[in-house]
Amino acid sequence: MNPLCKGLLAGLLLVLPLGAAVANEKAEPDPAKSQYWPPIRQMMFGEREILDGKDVVRVYLSTRADDASTVPVAVKAQIDQTPGQYIKQVYLIVERNPSPAAGIFQFTPDSGRAQVETRLRFEDFSFVRAIAETNDGKLYMASRWVKAAGGCSAPGDKNRMPANLVGTMKFRFADETVEAHKPALVQLMIRHPNESALASDFDDTRTPQFVRQVKVTYAGKTIMSADVDFSISDNPSFRFYFVPEKEGELQAIVEDTHDKRYVHREIIVEGVPLPGG
Amino acid sequence: MDPSRIAAALLAWSVGVASTFAADVLDPFALSEVAPGNFVHYGSLEERAPGNMGDQANIGFIVGEKCVAVIDTGGSAAVGRALRAAIRRTTDRPVCWIILTHVHPDHFFGTAAFREDRAVVIGHENLPRSMGQRARPYLNALKRDLGDHAAGSEVIPPTQLVRDETVLDLGGRTIRIKAWPVAHTDNDVTVFDERTGTLWLGDLLFVSHTPVVDGKITGFLEVLDTLSRVSVQRFVPGHGKTDAPWPQALEPERDYLALIVRETRAAIKRRKTIEEATDEVGLSERDKWVNFDDFHRRNVTTAYTELEWE
Repeated sequence: MNPLCKGLLAGLLLVLPLGAAVANEKAEPDPAKSQYWPPIRQMMFGEREILDGKDVVRVYLSTRADDASTVPVAVKAQIDQTPGQYIKQVYLIVERNPSPAAGIFQFTPDSGRAQVETRLRFEDFSFVRAIAETNDGKLYMASRWVKAAGGCSAPGDKNRMPANLVGTMKFRFADETVEAHKPALVQLMIRHPNESALASDFDDTRTPQFVRQVKVTYAGKTIMSADVDFSISDNPSFRFYFVPEKEGELQAIVEDTHDKRYVHREIIVEGVPLPGG
Repeated sequence: MDPSRIAAALLAWSVGVASTFAADVLDPFALSEVAPGNFVHYGSLEERAPGNMGDQANIGFIVGEKCVAVIDTGGSAAVGRALRAAIRRTTDRPVCWIILTHVHPDHFFGTAAFREDRAVVIGHENLPRSMGQRARPYLNALKRDLGDHAAGSEVIPPTQLVRDETVLDLGGRTIRIKAWPVAHTDNDVTVFDERTGTLWLGDLLFVSHTPVVDGKITGFLEVLDTLSRVSVQRFVPGHGKTDAPWPQALEPERDYLALIVRETRAAIKRRKTIEEATDEVGLSERDKWVNFDDFHRRNVTTAYTELEWE
């Protein structure tokens, strides 16, 4: 976990009014008026200007989530990744979660597209913020209101997986084969309870264990890396682009809060059928 | 883990003081004697709202010569008080046990109404942990949905835990509490009254109300398969009521869950994402169930996250 993220965890857990009133949240509020946003913004971005993101980054979620412990989210760049201009970082924030910084995703021009899909937990009705930082250091924000609650604490109990399965990974490809030089979508699936730190509130026999870092390379070059935490659902899933050559190795390295390190590799060859179905 | 410590911690999450609204909405509090000594109050199939005070689940009690065992206490302290009053009108035997069939709030928020009975609260061995994890969000949601009518409702975990089976003697009447593997939740128990052959299923059986999967969909189907081979004279679903015979009464739920499993597996095989699967799986069941739009997509989400690892 990078120092920024660690600072956030420590700071925000103290600062935010976690037990705040829950009354009158049926109407969709104004993202500019959220009382939860200013302290998060201050801690993460200080006085930096944050521009309207609609031409740079968008965030997609259902407004009313079906399962607060598994809310699919997609952050999609509206610009191409070129060496001259690209999105180098995306901050994904769930304002009302105990640890609001769900993930900080780093991309490179080798990513093909700055896009990531994952699944989030929601402790309470909340704005989700996706903030893209371009290589020139500018920040662009997209926001979305989501009605879902109770998902931070809900999981963990239904997913007691045998210890030998924790850290098992799969790549699942959107298409049956890839074509050299054409961006391809791949889902990295990580078998992990991603236990919320909240799960220990009334049970001190367990130390929460969750994935904190994910790094994916293709042919030795980083295409996506992320600092994440327990706002990500159990069995963390990340779907993103890479640009294949004729042949190359896709590698994922995952670390969790118990300093466990898991590695998964797969050789991708143009035209050869890929797992995913 | 020390249950009394948990109980003390959870008391901090209670929602203020008792209110007196209950009587109006929940009066008369209808009871059906489905088998001699087995009394059921059928909850509403409507969504939780101030107008029904959280009276969603089917709850009730079994009366022995010495003791009463309550099976689920309803979705608010108000419902719990109405149930307690109904018990007092029915028998002078004391309430010795409260059995909670699983962690969902429509089944347990009424437990506070039985405080002065000093009844022992019984549940699945996984129930305290699950209740502890969900206490705060459940109370927040209750308050959001019921407002002042949530007053007095508390999260009170069991102190007697069922690992496999627990047998209780109510006085001339034996009941068996059985703990199941992960199915509807990871903490489902059923209650069987031996004298009348009556099985209280909790939410292992939904009738009319869309079934909910908050555990493991393949496990749910396995448990239904086991249940269908049990000899039962009468049964009480967790939601809804039916005249269908046993075990045919299990079939609509089993068909619904099996369809989700089949179609979700097919969607995964066709490389569909979780969002695409929730948009297309199981829609042919829509007209068969109440509250389909509130629960169905969630079931598909749960199924997908389970089945994508097969």
